[in-house]
Amino acid sequence: MSRPSDLVQGTLDLLLLKILALESLNGWAISQRLKQVSGDVLQVSDGSLYPALHKLEQEGWITAEWKPSENNRRAKFYSLTRLGRKQFEKEAASWTRISQAITQVVQLEEA
Amino acid sequence: MRFEHWFYTLPLRLRSLFRRQQVEQELDDELLYHLERKIEESIARGVKPEDARYAALRAMDGLEQRKEECRDMRRTNGIENVIQDLRFGVRTLAKTPGFTTAVVLTLGLGIGANTAIFSVVNAVLLQPLPYPDPDRIVQLMLSSPEWAPGKNVTAINEPEFIIWRGERQAFKEVAAYDSGTGVNLAGVGEPEQIKALRVSADYFRLFGARVEIGRTFSADEDRPGGRRTVVISNGLWRRRFGGDRGLVGKTLILGGEPTQVIGVLSTGFAPDPAAEIWLPLQVDPGSTKGGHYLRAVARLQPGITVEMAKAQMKPANDQYVHDFMVGSRRGTTEGFTAEPMRDAVISDVERALLLAVGAVGFVLLIACANVANLLLARSLGRTRELAIRAALGGTRRRIVAQLLIESVVLAFAGGVLGLPLGYLGLRALLAMSPGNIPRIGPHGSAVTLDWHVLAFALLVSVCTGIIVGFLPALTAAETELSTTLNENTTRTGASVRQIKSRSVLVIAEMALTLVLLAGAVLLVRSLSALAGVNPGFDAHNVLTLQMSINDSRFRTTTAVADLIANAERRVQNLPGVIALAATYSLPLEDQLGGPFVIEGQPDHSYPVDISWVSEHYFEVFRIPLRRGRPFTNLDTSLAPPIVLINETLDQGFSRGSRWTAPLSWRNGNPLGERITFSKGEGPPFEDRTREIIGVVGAVRNIALGREANPMVYIPIGQLPDALTNLNGHDLRLVWTVRTKMDPFSFRTAIERELRMASGGLPVAEVRTMSQAMANSMAREHFNAMLLTVFAGLALLLAAIGIYSVMAYAVQLRTKEIGIRIALGARPGDVSKMVVIEGMTLAFVGVGFGVLAALVLTPLMRSLLYGVGPADPGALALVAVVLSAVALLATYIPAHRATLIDPILTLRWE
Repeated sequence: MSRPSDLVQGTLDLLLLKILALESLNGWAISQRLKQVSGDVLQVSDGSLYPALHKLEQEGWITAEWKPSENNRRAKFYSLTRLGRKQFEKEAASWTRISQAITQVVQLEEA
Repeated sequence: MRFEHWFYTLPLRLRSLFRRQQVEQELDDELLYHLERKIEESIARGVKPEDARYAALRAMDGLEQRKEECRDMRRTNGIENVIQDLRFGVRTLAKTPGFTTAVVLTLGLGIGANTAIFSVVNAVLLQPLPYPDPDRIVQLMLSSPEWAPGKNVTAINEPEFIIWRGERQAFKEVAAYDSGTGVNLAGVGEPEQIKALRVSADYFRLFGARVEIGRTFSADEDRPGGRRTVVISNGLWRRRFGGDRGLVGKTLILGGEPTQVIGVLSTGFAPDPAAEIWLPLQVDPGSTKGGHYLRAVARLQPGITVEMAKAQMKPANDQYVHDFMVGSRRGTTEGFTAEPMRDAVISDVERALLLAVGAVGFVLLIACANVANLLLARSLGRTRELAIRAALGGTRRRIVAQLLIESVVLAFAGGVLGLPLGYLGLRALLAMSPGNIPRIGPHGSAVTLDWHVLAFALLVSVCTGIIVGFLPALTAAETELSTTLNENTTRTGASVRQIKSRSVLVIAEMALTLVLLAGAVLLVRSLSALAGVNPGFDAHNVLTLQMSINDSRFRTTTAVADLIANAERRVQNLPGVIALAATYSLPLEDQLGGPFVIEGQPDHSYPVDISWVSEHYFEVFRIPLRRGRPFTNLDTSLAPPIVLINETLDQGFSRGSRWTAPLSWRNGNPLGERITFSKGEGPPFEDRTREIIGVVGAVRNIALGREANPMVYIPIGQLPDALTNLNGHDLRLVWTVRTKMDPFSFRTAIERELRMASGGLPVAEVRTMSQAMANSMAREHFNAMLLTVFAGLALLLAAIGIYSVMAYAVQLRTKEIGIRIALGARPGDVSKMVVIEGMTLAFVGVGFGVLAALVLTPLMRSLLYGVGPADPGALALVAVVLSAVALLATYIPAHRATLIDPILTLRWE
């Protein structure tokens, strides 16, 4: 299974949960949104997006339904479940903790 | 939390399993939607449609692989794969019915045979004994180098039972019982001889027997002079008394004496030895009797192991030797010991059963080799199919899994076929089995296909499937992708490697078959050696009938002698009857024995076998008199006591009985010597001092395969009264009759005369001595037959194996052979080439087989007679037979090779 090389393991999950916490979206829209919010810094290949979504779905963190999309074609829309929100909070908290710690280390003045 | 998780995920799992197509469709749709949007977007930016499409697909980084990744996320993928593989496997197999049938039949035979043997092993060796907490029951035994060197004996005497019963720290309960006899039941309906066992009071509690009505013996009833009471089996109660609940308290006439019924047992009590009535043993707590006529079992106290119990018996053992091993027993030893009852019950049959297990395991291995062979041949035909699957993203693991699942499906089908085959085989097996396999019940009714056997068959099937599938699956998965796909033909490269794998399989088959054949030949030779043995007596035209004389009228020697004289007069007057004799034991059945001292040499005692016989015994069995004089009708209880000895004793051989000192007759001649049995033991065992009056031929009395023990014959009419009385309780009188023709035709007349002579006593177990001879060889016969059947099966499978490999090799080399023929090779050269190749395999297999046989056959030494385990003649014979069969199997493809048309083959492709 390939993983995006430029993303810390597990962060893709966090990003997807965050995006879906704001609104329910289909796969294509999610890929666009990812590009847009991260200003092209975080490159997520189309190939790794769908396995990641399916994994979240199978964990019960997001749920999917088929709805008409912006251009009036049927697309699979994902939205966050209550479990997913809890999971997001947990992961967000731990991300904050770790990134703060790493930032502190990185910003240490060289003595 | 858990519940919420399942609330979201369970429907998904179920959907992926049961609405697979819809889920797949949705996956396609979802990805398609993404691709279309991406393409549209690119086109909008001015990219050419073709390029936009290509770029979108590239961005996916392998569409099919991504789909597979999404499927992996479903968690149910493993199950799905198996189901998919199963379906595919069944479909593929259904397309090749010939192949499938061959494989399923081969495996079915192997699995069926294993299931049949396992169900016997299950009943005999694995099932616990049918008592509560059977592991806590031990058989109390004696180690006696004088009586039975190298093994423990179960026959014990009364003082030993009394001592053990007192070992309260080691044993919760100790029970003793005799070997069972027949007792005449009169008073209700026809008089009938009923199998009776005399048991001590704790017997029923120890074995956990429950009563339907009434109770079992009290301690008072188990004392000498206690009330005459009886406990009867549920079966007899229903059969003879119609299940009358008022029976308890009533009095029956048993052995001519009124006896009160005190209890009826519940069903389900299946003791060994079996009996229909139980009488109290009534051992005197102060007994000093030395006769070993009892058996004893004990239930261990909680927390006591067998070893601890043995250690606790040691002080009492030393005391016993000090107190009792005096007089004629001085210098001999009797060590107290114990074995778990299960071991004591199955020790005789364990080795033969394990031999059968080994043999049948070999048959299955050979069947596996054959099937692996077929699968290898088949996988070659599928090389391209597998290569294409690999190219389409099938991982090596998936492909191996697919092939293994196929072979497991095959083996499972084999198992399904094998179960009924095994059941039929089992019934046939039990029908032919000797009656002396313990624990299989009457006609093998205790051997059933229970869940143990079903689980075994399932396990064997699955393992077989994996074993046969492993080599072909690995070989197939190793195939180089590019070369295979580029090859124009499927018949090169990989095929050479295949031939090697298959050759190894054939060599293994040949070797296994040779071992089985060697085992079978050794057993058959043992059997024929046994059948050719001169037993020392003439079994032809001898009828034997058993009569219980446990009756108040026959308590004295004179009364028994009169009975015999009366019977002689009546039966010998029948036309066609030559002679009648009475005894208490027959050749080839359990023997009685005791130690004697020679007058003037009180320090040494010599245990030998003893037979009490009437005057015409030697005429009935045609045992020749070598020296001295025979018994006459003048040797009554009033005449001087006499004894005849056999040649073995005459020559001073001790054989099975180990003596403390070598025996040498004064003047080198036993005639005129005076001997006394059980000297110093007191009644009923101590005998009168007897003069040796003659020497008779030796009879193989233990078994046909064992040389005759030293033995004496004592006139039945000269026994001390106390011994006659004891024999009446413990033993049955055996009538033996020599007739001029088929002894069975005299049966009715003889029975009638015996009944009249005895005042109405019934006889039972009417048999001919020829039957007894056959019975004594039944186990050897059975072993030999079983192994011969398995070896035959193995031979057939091995022949098929070598045939299929050679036929395949010829087919593979059609082109080469065609060229050879075109270049002028004669048919002889071609067939020679094929035969040499096949026979090389066969000879290598035979070589390994001989080595394996040299290692393995010594394990069956104890089952052989008259032939050594590594018998060169037997090994040479099976090597020749196996090679001949291999030659025959190779000759067919060799002959076919000569028929190859060079023109056709060269044009082909």
